[in-house]
Amino acid sequence: MMRYRLDIRSAEHALVSIDDFHLAPQKITVLFGESGIGKTLISQAVFGLLDAHELEISINDQSYESYVRSQTVRRMQADGFFVFQEPSTHLNPLMTLDEQLNEGRLAKIGAQEEILQALWRQPFETHIRPLLKVYPKPFRPSGGEKQRILLAMAFKKWALPAKGKDRLFIFDEPTGSLDNYYRNIFLQELLKRYEQQPFTVLLITHDYSMISEFEQKHARFLPHIDFKELRRLDGAKTQLFDFKPGNYTDWLKRQRPIQSAAEASDTVPVLQVAPTFKIFGKTFYFSKHPKGNRAEPLLVHRQELVYLKAPSGMGKTTLAKILAGLQKPESVRFELSGLSFDETTEQKVWRKYVWGKKLAMVFQHADEALNLQANVRDVFKGLPGVNFKDAGELLQAIQEMFDQPLSPFFLNQKVAYLSGGQKQRLNLLRALLLHPDLIILDEPLNGLDFESIRKVLEIIRRKMAAGSGVLLISHNEEIFDRLVGRENWYYLRAEG
Amino acid sequence: MKFLLKQIQRHDAQLKALWQNGRRRAAQVLSAAERQTERWAHFPARVYFLAWAGGLFLLWLWDFFFLNAPERHLLEIAFVHSLLIAGLVVVLSFVWAWLTAYLIEFFSDRQKDVAAGLLHFALNLIRSLPQIVGVLLGYVWITYRIQTGHIRSGLGIMLWMSVFLSLFIFPEVVALLRERIAYFRQSDFFNAMRVSGISDARIINYDILWKNSRRHILNKMIAVFSSAIFLQCSVDFIVSVGLSTRVSAVNLPTTLGSLLANIDSKQDILAIGYSLTHPGYLPNLFFLHLQGISVALVIVFTLFSLYKITNALAERFRL
Repeated sequence: MMRYRLDIRSAEHALVSIDDFHLAPQKITVLFGESGIGKTLISQAVFGLLDAHELEISINDQSYESYVRSQTVRRMQADGFFVFQEPSTHLNPLMTLDEQLNEGRLAKIGAQEEILQALWRQPFETHIRPLLKVYPKPFRPSGGEKQRILLAMAFKKWALPAKGKDRLFIFDEPTGSLDNYYRNIFLQELLKRYEQQPFTVLLITHDYSMISEFEQKHARFLPHIDFKELRRLDGAKTQLFDFKPGNYTDWLKRQRPIQSAAEASDTVPVLQVAPTFKIFGKTFYFSKHPKGNRAEPLLVHRQELVYLKAPSGMGKTTLAKILAGLQKPESVRFELSGLSFDETTEQKVWRKYVWGKKLAMVFQHADEALNLQANVRDVFKGLPGVNFKDAGELLQAIQEMFDQPLSPFFLNQKVAYLSGGQKQRLNLLRALLLHPDLIILDEPLNGLDFESIRKVLEIIRRKMAAGSGVLLISHNEEIFDRLVGRENWYYLRAEG
Repeated sequence: MKFLLKQIQRHDAQLKALWQNGRRRAAQVLSAAERQTERWAHFPARVYFLAWAGGLFLLWLWDFFFLNAPERHLLEIAFVHSLLIAGLVVVLSFVWAWLTAYLIEFFSDRQKDVAAGLLHFALNLIRSLPQIVGVLLGYVWITYRIQTGHIRSGLGIMLWMSVFLSLFIFPEVVALLRERIAYFRQSDFFNAMRVSGISDARIINYDILWKNSRRHILNKMIAVFSSAIFLQCSVDFIVSVGLSTRVSAVNLPTTLGSLLANIDSKQDILAIGYSLTHPGYLPNLFFLHLQGISVALVIVFTLFSLYKITNALAERFRL
């Protein structure tokens, strides 16, 4: 067992502290945990990638410098690989993808074409070779392509002969930019290699639906997979717990579509968007069938959960921003709680009648949607119709979203110092405390652990019961496909 | 013999322990000192501030021993007045700037184009006038009011001096505040708060300017402080040199600029040039020409130190 006792601090505060972080050798450890809890930091520390000058790090009670210089870490780095969460930070913008795939010892592996073809499932000459000549830039190649290049590097490294007996491969959110199809291909390729020669894998993810994929398609590997969850105990103190995959899959099986209390046909929709709208010179339309071409109006009634689906980058968030009056389209027509809007409607109408009253929206990235310099108490100040008698009442409202009991000091904590999951919960709560007719939720489960997902879904249910309609945008199809009745699925499509 | 050997061994062990303890203690002291040095090195603005305060204190000490009491007293008064005026300029500039920036945002948001246009016009009008000319015009008004007996107290004069100085400095601060607001307007947090029904006033004043721009504002305040000292010294010097014979240093409060324009100070400054061609005269500068040289040194050293402080802060906070 590889065991680590870790303590990482910045100049200002403790970042993460864990007494026993362990990885079973030659097994696959799937590590869950809310965003920002320290999964990346811990794994980078273990792999010897952190900068000891910027952080105070102690690992197994020795200084980080001596740990990094040790033979074990040198061998770990020489034989293993670390796939970074954000592919752009891993790739060198001054080298083509091909040069990076063949840097150093990686050049010795001749099976590059097969590896790439397996990850792309497309012909090499026409689809992959042109891509390899590209220098990575922020928006080109796409996030998914960059991520697959990194995975190809990891698999090339795996094909190299190892010096030590065991090898550690760390994949930090390796499927964050991949859709389910490519995610499943990656898992298949990983397990194929694992089957040939078992090695130690740390797979960090928020994607609980991976469990279903393992159970349904790779059940024979389950004895070789440890599901773990990192949880915060107090402050920066965290602990590694076993995560029973059954907890998730059983819960998922129990989920049924959330039923509206009112019959949709009897009530006037709270939101009615005309079947087509135009932005960036493109016409978009809504369809109720995955492959249908018939444009239909998008309807959301009170106490109804409507799920808007589309591939990544299609324009779901843009539509949400149009409805919220934050972006001007070339043409659009919709009615929201009896008010009519089109592309000429001025923003002052939203300010006066809509924001916080008829509509609330949860933005996709909590990090960007919250004022990081404010404290927790400030997040809830100035919300229309939301008045807390005292700090205790506010704390109680926040507590509903959190697993552990919160101390009153939590209200004074700077948002910037909270974990990603904590931020996401505040982001959600800010909108859910309001009493609007329509709530738009853009990726509401981003960065949340399983417990928080359950809590958030419960609060959304309560909010709907109280009379709000919900328009949902999410990639988390496994969960929402079960929670939203098929009659409430809409597909966003672009013409042409 | 055995006993002696044992004694030697014991002493040897004691000495070793002492040596090791000493080394450990020395290492602890050294690492504490290192940490402290690092902390200071990490924040050089503090070092520059202390250097400024320390430099001025040393100068005062020198003057205490070698400059006659009436002139030293005059120097102290000039220094306090100049600092007071610069401080007032900082406060007033920020009041004007905050109000103007917020009103421009308010009018633009509500599409009150005429009101927003008028504010922009007024700002541009002030910007189009060279600061020094603008402040001189202000002084003309002040001298007129002094002559007519409307402004009598020294404090009143200093307040009006600050008003005019701040009037020609605050557009710089408006630019900073508007830049900060524009930057955050593009962020999701601005939109997310608006969609939650939080008022623009709260988002702009509290979340953007107070919570997210304090460091920028602090840095600008220091820059405004040094601008105020520089402008004040320049204008006071010009006024004192000869714009008017009736209203001059006699009526206006003594400041570093007016003291520099004093005939004694001018002779002291000229002595610097003289000592360049007659090096033997150099030591006299430190004993016989202290008034002018002290005033010049206070002005130059203050401006230099403030410049270093703002630069260090900008680097430290990555502004």
